[in-house]
Amino acid sequence: MAEREERQNLLDEYESLPRPRDDNGSSRPMSAICDPSRLPHRIVVLIFMCFLGFGSYFCYDNPAALQTQVLQDMNLNTSKFMQLYAWYSWPNVILCFLGGFLLDRVFGIRLGTVIFSLFVCAGQVIFAMGALFNAFWLMEVGRFVFGIGGESLAVAQNTYAVNWFKGKELNLVFGLQLSMARLGSTVNMNIMGWVYSRVQSMLVSTGHTTLGASLMIASATCIFSLICALVLGFLDKRAEKILNKEQGKTGEVIKLTDVKDFSLSLWLIFIICVAYYVAIFPFIGLGQVFFIEKFNFSPAEARAVNSIVYIISAPASPVLGFLVDKTGKNIIWVLCAVCSTLAAHMMLAFTFWNPWIAMSLLGVSYSLLACALWPMVAFVVPEHQLGTAYGFMQSIQNLGLALIAMAAGAILDSRGYLFLEVFFSACICLALIAVVMLYFVDFLRGGELNLSASARAKLQKSSASDSE
Amino acid sequence: MASTLGSAQLLSILLFLILQFVSGFIINEDKYKRQVFLELNPGLNSSITPPPGVSLLHVRAVGANDTLHYFFCSLGAPALLLVHTNSSSSSVKVDWLRFLSGNASSLQVEPKSSVQYSNALIFTRLWEYEDANDTADPQHLPPSSFFPPYELQDFTWGDLSETMNATSKTAKLCGGDSGPSFSNGSFCLQISAFGSGGRDHDWPRLLHNANSSQIKVWLDGVTARSNKSRFSLELQTVGRSDLPSRVDVLRSIDDEYTPSIFQVVQWVASPVNSTSPVLGYTQWKPVAYRTASPNGYQTSGLNVTFGISGDPFYSATNYLSWTLLVGLGSPPADSFSPMVMGIIAVGLGTPLLLILVGGICVCVRKREAKPLAYEPIN
Repeated sequence: MAEREERQNLLDEYESLPRPRDDNGSSRPMSAICDPSRLPHRIVVLIFMCFLGFGSYFCYDNPAALQTQVLQDMNLNTSKFMQLYAWYSWPNVILCFLGGFLLDRVFGIRLGTVIFSLFVCAGQVIFAMGALFNAFWLMEVGRFVFGIGGESLAVAQNTYAVNWFKGKELNLVFGLQLSMARLGSTVNMNIMGWVYSRVQSMLVSTGHTTLGASLMIASATCIFSLICALVLGFLDKRAEKILNKEQGKTGEVIKLTDVKDFSLSLWLIFIICVAYYVAIFPFIGLGQVFFIEKFNFSPAEARAVNSIVYIISAPASPVLGFLVDKTGKNIIWVLCAVCSTLAAHMMLAFTFWNPWIAMSLLGVSYSLLACALWPMVAFVVPEHQLGTAYGFMQSIQNLGLALIAMAAGAILDSRGYLFLEVFFSACICLALIAVVMLYFVDFLRGGELNLSASARAKLQKSSASDSE
Repeated sequence: MASTLGSAQLLSILLFLILQFVSGFIINEDKYKRQVFLELNPGLNSSITPPPGVSLLHVRAVGANDTLHYFFCSLGAPALLLVHTNSSSSSVKVDWLRFLSGNASSLQVEPKSSVQYSNALIFTRLWEYEDANDTADPQHLPPSSFFPPYELQDFTWGDLSETMNATSKTAKLCGGDSGPSFSNGSFCLQISAFGSGGRDHDWPRLLHNANSSQIKVWLDGVTARSNKSRFSLELQTVGRSDLPSRVDVLRSIDDEYTPSIFQVVQWVASPVNSTSPVLGYTQWKPVAYRTASPNGYQTSGLNVTFGISGDPFYSATNYLSWTLLVGLGSPPADSFSPMVMGIIAVGLGTPLLLILVGGICVCVRKREAKPLAYEPIN
């Protein structure tokens, strides 16, 4: 769920969208807040843009925030519980290729956004109904529908941002959207337990009805996001009329035949991506009970420590992104991130040290990896294949997440948390192996993945002067 | 690159095998074996017929130069008596007339001088209380929450001769009182004796050795007296007065064998002088299972309470099982399984090897490439 924002940099740096703006079309004077060409109006648009994704980020981790309650009320074991996460990922194995196409060619950005928001809403409502009627299969259907909308909505959100802010405050906008997403996750983690207990005391009954009602309340955030999608559509249409501009496009071109041209370096990056993220998201999904059982945390404390990864990531991402941009040496940064993640997992597995330490370390290294790993793709793939490469990367990432979520649940049920943590550590070790190999492959082939920023700039300058 | 990869894989496999070999040595250190014999009602001749439901199981676990005697008895409250002798030929004498009249000294292990240690664990009462506020904390509940306890000494017990299994070295004792609660249910105890180290197939999979035996207690199909009933079991131990007993709760990072349980509770008997070793123990993990497979726990002193706040009440499944280990010497401690150590070794070893091999490769290549790197003079 959190792996999508990294594409934003790409859209920003490597895509050249035609941005026809014809300012002389505005004949009558408008107040700044209503004038699409002025900053105050764009700030209004930005607010809606940020809240567009809030609902889906909030609801994605509902199961993690209510893990104990879901397990008990629906009478599940952990492997069934993790199916909720697997079902979210399944549709995105394919949709990562299709999302951009659907937005550009089929629906258009405005209708597409509304449709994906509807999917998110419907998914969450079905999910809640499943709990209300005590039908777990219905909950799974809900997560599937929710998954169809969730990832594609993020693509739409990015497209809107590019469309409105390209060449202006785009990086800041991406940063804000990212922080908003993290905020959604964090608020969810820390508030859903409280919501549940309030509903419980109101209904004076425990069980699936309480769970269903709580999830129904959570779906209000999705409705809110849907309203944002409608308002954005209206504002965008209005701006199109006034400024005589085109509807935004993702500009993504996906050609599956490109896959055969992918270099060894790119495949190694894919391995790092999959092996790394599968040790983060399924772990957070299962974290709450782990902190309760192993470290004797209260449920509220456990939810708080589980959300620290997201909390840290919100401010750390822009800072670390800046750092990586200025220094270059991406592979070294990825290596650092992978090693510190390994250390964090080992700490959780083999010690009783306060998990705040390990989880904070995990939060920092997770943000660092995102900043350093995703831009590397652009160095090893020609520009016209970038869309395919990123689509492919997200697709196999979702495949990995779905499979590992199921495996993690089964491992936990049969062999316990120590073995689960060892399993996650093994995944990180696989990522580590891939990073080391990537370093050597890049070194031997004289690639530019691990150059410092200044060396990269020199290289760019010389190739520019060569072509002149 | 392909060749270096191949050798790296080979090396990691080798490393794994070595590790398996070494860890096999470390983990299976407890290789002490005993021969186990089960005998029902030792020394009972046909002249005396015990009342129905009263039987005495004698388990003899004979080692190289010592013997462990276990007595599992359904006369009065069910109890397990453990006697350790320093002779491999010690025997048991029961004066059945006095035994059936409840005289404790009627059971003797001979020769008397060979007895090194003895200890008895008695299951005295089964408490039931209504946990209206779902606190699972009977110590802070008003007395009115408690139903009259089931006195296990008043239960009618089944016949051990029907449930004794000489090959699996187990015997099961089930019973209940004449009240309506036990019309469809029973309170059962199953004793397992062991001749060597290992684990049960079922959770909590306690590690046992030849110096221990295991008791599984379960409560199946009993009609609870309220919808919010929880149960609690009262245990008593009888041992030498110079051997005070204490309850230790140990934390362990290893929950491989009992998923999500990170604690072990040990009720140990050790001399006042704390440096001397533990002589005997009762060990359990703070977990009781609500179904014939898993959840939930808590212990309090010698009343073991089943369930934690928020857990379903007994009536959810009408089943509860709890397992404990009784043994001699220091309690066995879990260690990592070879699989965990293997995964960690391979996981960490392979990247390190790769760095090493790759580093050498790069150095060699650099050296080979050096002559070409000379700049032409002038």
